[in-house]
Amino acid sequence: MRPILQLAALASAGLACTLPASAETFRWSSATDPQTMDPHAVNAAPVTSFLNNVYEGLVRRNAEMAIEPSLATGWAPLEGEHGWRFTLREGVTFHDGAAFTADDVLFSYERAASEESDVRSWFAPVTGVRVVDDLTIDFVTSAPNPLFPDSIANFLVMDRGWTEANEAVRPARDAENAATRDANGTGPFRLVSRDPGIETRLAPFDGWWDDAEHNVTEAIYTPIGNAATGLAALLSGEIDMISPIPLQDVAQVEGREGFQVLEGLETRVIMLGFGHDREVLKYGADAGAPNPFLDARVRRAVALAVDVDTIGRVIMRGKSAPASQLLPAGLSGYSEANDAPVGFDEAGARALLAEAGYEDGFSFGLMCTNDRYINDEAVCRAIASMLARVGIDAELTVMPVRTYWEELRADNFDMYLLGWSPGTFDAEHPIRFLAATPNEETRVGSWNFGGYSDPRVDELLPLIQQELDPAARQAMLDEVAAILQAQVAYVPLYVEPLIWAAKADIDLVQRPDNFFMLRWVRVN
Amino acid sequence: MIPFVARRLVQSLFVMLAVAALAFALFRFVGDPVSQMTGVETAPEDMERLRVELGLTDPVPVQFARFVGDLVTLDFGYSYRTRQPVGAMIAERIPATLELGFVALLISLVVGVPGGVYAALKPRSPATQALLIGTLIGVSVPTFVIGILLIFLFGVQLGWLPTFGRGSTVEIGPWRTSLLTVDGWRALILPAITLGLYQLTLTLRLVRAEMMEVMRTDHIRFALARGLPLTSIHYRHALGNTLVPVVTIVALQFGGVIAFSIVTESVFQWPGLGLLFLESIRFVDIPVMAVYLVLIGFVFVAINLLVDLLYAAIDPRIRVTGAA
Repeated sequence: MRPILQLAALASAGLACTLPASAETFRWSSATDPQTMDPHAVNAAPVTSFLNNVYEGLVRRNAEMAIEPSLATGWAPLEGEHGWRFTLREGVTFHDGAAFTADDVLFSYERAASEESDVRSWFAPVTGVRVVDDLTIDFVTSAPNPLFPDSIANFLVMDRGWTEANEAVRPARDAENAATRDANGTGPFRLVSRDPGIETRLAPFDGWWDDAEHNVTEAIYTPIGNAATGLAALLSGEIDMISPIPLQDVAQVEGREGFQVLEGLETRVIMLGFGHDREVLKYGADAGAPNPFLDARVRRAVALAVDVDTIGRVIMRGKSAPASQLLPAGLSGYSEANDAPVGFDEAGARALLAEAGYEDGFSFGLMCTNDRYINDEAVCRAIASMLARVGIDAELTVMPVRTYWEELRADNFDMYLLGWSPGTFDAEHPIRFLAATPNEETRVGSWNFGGYSDPRVDELLPLIQQELDPAARQAMLDEVAAILQAQVAYVPLYVEPLIWAAKADIDLVQRPDNFFMLRWVRVN
Repeated sequence: MIPFVARRLVQSLFVMLAVAALAFALFRFVGDPVSQMTGVETAPEDMERLRVELGLTDPVPVQFARFVGDLVTLDFGYSYRTRQPVGAMIAERIPATLELGFVALLISLVVGVPGGVYAALKPRSPATQALLIGTLIGVSVPTFVIGILLIFLFGVQLGWLPTFGRGSTVEIGPWRTSLLTVDGWRALILPAITLGLYQLTLTLRLVRAEMMEVMRTDHIRFALARGLPLTSIHYRHALGNTLVPVVTIVALQFGGVIAFSIVTESVFQWPGLGLLFLESIRFVDIPVMAVYLVLIGFVFVAINLLVDLLYAAIDPRIRVTGAA
């Protein structure tokens, strides 16, 4: 602590009665308050991340993102039919003291798969759930599903008794119910008080089945929407940890004694998408002219013209990593065989454009968010000027994310910026959502705004989903990765960094999914 | 008098209807609430079902009629974001904003009125110059910059005051106040200064101008000629006459203080109406935005109506012109 701060701390000690009373009170903050305490009502990161401290799933992810036993001690494929059998942990209790049994899992499945739930897509492959005995439960699926246990890591289990007694059997659709503001999980922390948008207090659950690694006696969460205010709150010592902090503030935190910056890579790849199913351009001076992006050479020229390293160095301050695929290196199913990024080659881009008949360039519309990804607007401006250097003129439209998806769904773009974080942390996820031909019935391709379509990719996707042999599965994933690269379906740019800041005496784990788990926090 | 009041009431109703129409029109452009309410993995058909449930697929006139109908019957519905009843959410946040606005106004008066008197009486003193320049800077620099500067100076560097939030609060019935705790007052100082700075400048300059004007009038000259004590002339005769327009302006400005506390509340994470409104915009939480906008509109209309009626009561000429 610097002398001036020390003096100030002494001076304010007399006045301040709310500064951390005991060393183990841990206060943290982020920009967005979880909208609800209901684990099945909204499938959004702020909610799921927060509730993973209170509720638990059958499986959970460890610090390295690998799946490990949680409420289930083991799982194995069913014999004679498709699906999985989970053996449940004995002696687990909910925060209200009720015992955890297979019936609670069945109930939670019914709740999470109901029409009112926002997480029901996780259970699309499930055809039935069977309670075998109090500590055994079967999930039957329509086809072999090797990744099912991984895909339900965030399926959080509620207590049937508590939920029924409090009339929260289904997630709140209109008016709030008991589960919106209150919680009763099996997790390491229990909800003590909840003041939406202002403050949420948690305390360790004494009856937790696992050995506590943390030494927190009380955890207080406060949302702080304004980044500068959040940073000030950390530097003044009012909070112990904040996520994220803006890139430009990293130096300021690092320069102060007593504080640390935690840097890592998130699992989100930032990429450019094209209107693959569009005959004509919609924006720019050439609106109405034939769509040049139908030609793979033009798409490759775009990939060559964008200098990802410079964007990483200048705009992302050296904290991002170049991407070659729709998911970051190191995740399951990542194709090592297709690891090389396209690289930056202005002359090559010009040559390809000339070959495609666009030596005089063309003008088109690029859509971009300004509040969704780190420095997204600056990245788009850089991309537009890089494309201008090879003669193609991107007319940039930036908008907040609250209007962005609506515009993309209405096909209002020629090219767009997209970030994708695979919810299952597996290569199948981006293929299902971004590369498969959009299909209402099979519910694939729901984020494939440009309508990219390749018969071989569509053919491989179900096979990948069902393949039990890891080598055969990887071979198919490699093939898809190669197709997407050869056709430049998307232009993967870089992997977004993850920047948290904390007091130096706090030990914590920064998981690449940007979840903040209190169970690893140690206040020294 | 009665026809005048009736006419003003009807006019106010039309203004409120216009506010509601504007607010409603705005919602067409703020974005898609359903995208905000669902996760990335939600199937398009589930989103569509939610859209139908929320009535977002109904024809626009039907939606508008329902919107006005709900407002008139005080049925504010539920927040898209938190699922709480909107009326309760707004009611919970009102005390924070009112207390902040009230203290900000108090600061602006306590500093602005004496400051203005001083500046009028001693126009050439260096302190006056400093005061005028200082307050000019105060209005020219954007509120959020002032807020951040104050936070970094008093919160981070000196560590005297909290950087965010409202401190400890005490609940008196439905009213949650931070005015009864030391902690609450400490948290209130910086945001109240930030919010009150503009009012302070306005009040100071208004008092100064009015005071200089009044000091030149005949009755003050007579008073001076009669040899009345200077303090009595300045503070009883001159200031008394100065305060009439000042009170009017300050009252009218109070609506503005409430409405424009958005920036201050955001910078200090002050859990009031403005912060709630900002969060609601981000999530396209239309029910909350609607009630907030209409409430702010109502505050302005009510204050203006009140001032009009008071004027009419005081000054019969307004009534006569109004009736003509």
